[in-house]
Amino acid sequence: MTFLSRCPRRLRRFITGLVMATVFLTLQFSLSAASSMAAAKPYQELSYPPLPEIELPDYQRLTLDNGMVLYLMENHELPLVSGQMSIRTGSRFEPGDQVGLAELTGSLLRSGGTEIQPPAELNQFLEDRAASIETRIGTSSGSASFSSLSEDLEPVLNSFAQVLRQPAFDESQFAFLQAQVEGGLARRNDDPDNIASREFDKLLYGETSPYGRTLEPETLANISRQDIIDFYQENFFPNRMILGIYGDFDSNETIDLIQDLFSDWQPTDQPLPALPAVAQAQANSTFFVDQPQLNQSNVQLGHLGGLADDPNYPALSVMNGVMNGFGGRLMNEVRSRRGLAYSVYGYWSPSYDYPGTFFTGAQTRTEATVPLIKALREEFEKIRTSNISEAELRYAKESALNSFVFNFQTPRQTLSRLMRYEYVGYPADFIFDYQKGVEATTIEDVRRVAQEYLRPDDLVTLVVGNVEAFEQALKSETGQKVQRIEL
Amino acid sequence: MIHPAESNRAQSKLRQILVSLLLTAILFLGSIPPSQANSLASLEPYLDRLREQITEFQLDNGMTFIVLERHEAPVVSFVTYANVGGVDEPLGKTGVAHFLEHLAFKGTPEIGSTDYAKEAVLLDQLDEIFDQIKVAEAAGDQAKAAQLKTEFDQVQTEATQYVRQNELGQVIEREGGVGLNAATSADSTTYFYSLPSNKLELWMSLESERFLNPVFREFHEEKNVILEERRMRLENDPVSQLFEALKSEAFEVHPYGQPLIGETADIAGLTRPDVQEFFDAYYGPDNLICAVVGDVNPAEVKTLAQTYFGRQGWSSQKRSRAKIKKEPVQRGEKSVELTRQTQPWYMEAYHIPGSGDPKAIPYSILGDILSSGRTSRLYKSLVESQQVALGAQGFTGYPGDKYPNLMVFYALVAPGSDIDEVQAALHEQLERLKKTPVTEAELNRVKTRLKASVLRSLTSNQGMGQVLAEYKGKTGQWQTLFRDLEAIGNLTPRDIQKAAQDAFRSENRTVGRLFSADQAAEANPIEAAQPSAPAISEPSPEPVPEPVRAL
Repeated sequence: MTFLSRCPRRLRRFITGLVMATVFLTLQFSLSAASSMAAAKPYQELSYPPLPEIELPDYQRLTLDNGMVLYLMENHELPLVSGQMSIRTGSRFEPGDQVGLAELTGSLLRSGGTEIQPPAELNQFLEDRAASIETRIGTSSGSASFSSLSEDLEPVLNSFAQVLRQPAFDESQFAFLQAQVEGGLARRNDDPDNIASREFDKLLYGETSPYGRTLEPETLANISRQDIIDFYQENFFPNRMILGIYGDFDSNETIDLIQDLFSDWQPTDQPLPALPAVAQAQANSTFFVDQPQLNQSNVQLGHLGGLADDPNYPALSVMNGVMNGFGGRLMNEVRSRRGLAYSVYGYWSPSYDYPGTFFTGAQTRTEATVPLIKALREEFEKIRTSNISEAELRYAKESALNSFVFNFQTPRQTLSRLMRYEYVGYPADFIFDYQKGVEATTIEDVRRVAQEYLRPDDLVTLVVGNVEAFEQALKSETGQKVQRIEL
Repeated sequence: MIHPAESNRAQSKLRQILVSLLLTAILFLGSIPPSQANSLASLEPYLDRLREQITEFQLDNGMTFIVLERHEAPVVSFVTYANVGGVDEPLGKTGVAHFLEHLAFKGTPEIGSTDYAKEAVLLDQLDEIFDQIKVAEAAGDQAKAAQLKTEFDQVQTEATQYVRQNELGQVIEREGGVGLNAATSADSTTYFYSLPSNKLELWMSLESERFLNPVFREFHEEKNVILEERRMRLENDPVSQLFEALKSEAFEVHPYGQPLIGETADIAGLTRPDVQEFFDAYYGPDNLICAVVGDVNPAEVKTLAQTYFGRQGWSSQKRSRAKIKKEPVQRGEKSVELTRQTQPWYMEAYHIPGSGDPKAIPYSILGDILSSGRTSRLYKSLVESQQVALGAQGFTGYPGDKYPNLMVFYALVAPGSDIDEVQAALHEQLERLKKTPVTEAELNRVKTRLKASVLRSLTSNQGMGQVLAEYKGKTGQWQTLFRDLEAIGNLTPRDIQKAAQDAFRSENRTVGRLFSADQAAEANPIEAAQPSAPAISEPSPEPVPEPVRAL
């Protein structure tokens, strides 16, 4: 094993923080006790002691000789241990005629049992111990996780390693999984939200794009158990894995255990495939899915967006803050003032390593469909063409900065974040750069990024609802051909 | 919760609702561990530590505070539990508890207004005109009604000019508040959020103002928002409709049968004075419990609570709580059927005891044995082996648990199977529980799982606040939590069998069938009676979608 780095301890020690906090509280208490006649104050008159500085928890980061990265963060508050692993794979690497292959692999990896523990035995072994092991593969990453009481860590880790290294992909579990997926397909149009989000991604990324395409009966039929085994063998290597362990364990013992379980696993020298290219599929057009039984339309508008490490992302997230939240423009205008929707939102929503989206939307009664679309367009036109107020800037920035501490509520959040940043190749202190970026954002910045990043001419509009009731109005409002999507 | 950015966004709200129901069930258990089986005995040190960190005090006006110290991070969560819910709604005013919950975000004379003196006059005028519109409409005088509506719109526009919209929520968020929301259930209404712990006094100030002197402004605009919420949660969600129909059928007289979000006509007819009246009756300080969990000093919480919530002039009014009718014993199987544009679902419900009754305890464990995890009986039989269902679960506490309630089973019928097959398979499992005691191993597995879930719940400020307040509210003391855990630890296979025998009888059963309109088109074109009502326990002032922060 190569011992790569021991993360630097923060200079201020945790205990100091605690002591300080106690002193503070005591002081504050004696002040308020002294003036126990103290009158109740309106919020404007309150002042607050400073919050203690954020303390990053200690952790270790190591790399095994075979390239597997290991993070360890001890926390002994409760007799529990959990682990999470990121695996460099994803459905974006599966063939276009086998959409679902990665998802099925991620699922069968766990449900199909191991060479040592068949499915039922593995299930019972874990649940007898209130433990769990789960695996999945999403669009841009794979994951495996476990949780266990600390007394069961060793046997559970053992099974965890077997799931990753000796999966059995049990035949009957494969047939069962196929049936479950078919059942899910049959039900995918039961919920209008589901239809909207699925079809919207197809419109933005394209129905053959790895970021827009969906599992269909034909692609499912193309997936055999052997394809799953092949996908597993092509994608699971220790040098494409980052494992983090959190909780009540002893680091030295656990390192030895991990060594025993994983160090003889051979790495690959193959590079990862290149990421798929992304281009917006539809633009400046309007689509609908006709669901005549609905009395409420599900509306989405948007276009392709960008990356989280864009230097303008902090300003864009301030823009998000101005639009959203309890005091945001959408809530104030579309919901509270006009009563057009219960849920309304509009975000610049980046992804880590491929273009995310900008989207806005809401659900509204059928007859208000067009007024809602108009209201949403107006709100985003307004933020592109006029300055936000000082109060809005303050609301958006301070909301983000004052709640920043909630990103550090548990040490585990920090561990997850570090692993995520390593997975996507971002710097470990990315979140603090973001914080500085928000602090520095000005009114002019928000207007500049809104103008530059929001592109009214690229907007795609999608409505799921009872189309007959609003089709004409929709045509005249958008001035566009309104196109039907058949499910 | 309704975040469109997440790919399976509301993959179904239903699932969310179910999950939250299940979570409630788990929390209910989860908040409290038992003893006996060694599995639970090892929780003792953690429970002792928990007990030591809890302080409780009551103000002279009757308001109760529970403080749980957790100094792991400089943050604190607040839960205000109002001991009032859907069951307390007057006849013809269903939905008023939930409506009030929305309006409790609208501010006070000082918060949310630029000139309350002027605004108040206009709000009163709006109430009057609204009454006149109702009278005109009832008399069939359309011309008068139209004229009044024009007048109404003008006054409303004028009133809006004095509104500082959503100032309460805006201040909370600007100061770093997160998780701001509220939830109305059949039993209770809770308001909650978290703050950095240096802002304890901010919560004291805002929350006391909010309940001392709320102003229900933007009443009519909010009515439209609530009607949209109703469309989303109920009218366009066939599974929620089946749940509503089921409870409405199962309860003959108990208000658990009423729709929680309210009948459309009731909501439409509600007035601001209706809400005020409901508020005056049920939001006195002796009907409120606040849980404060996190990095705080209990003595300081007490001092501030006296200053803010103990102010002169805030006391509980004499009131008589509406008497809740007792549900008679069910004497025969009942059923409801709906046909909708959806794939088929099957449900059935059995009456079980309320949470104050020790007899209720085995049912939560029954729910676990039947439906938690891949080793659970319903998963292994209906889902995995027979493959008649894509998923099948059972849970207790529907639609509440303060009173005798329902244990509900539901299953998503698998393609190629049908509702009758699912029903038969489910009954086979329930009969098995009645005939043969569960094994010790099975029971211990559930207890061990409970232990782990109790431990995990201890790390959530918000979750612990909710549990403590709810236990206090429903049973009179949060310590009941420990008693329940102990009782669960002592459960034997015979107790479980007895509970199954008591409840799972056909005459105690209400069946719900949701047929697919596509499949029924040729077979059965007759649609069953449209169920009237809505959602389960819902968070209301829109959970502001969590900003998509790539952090």
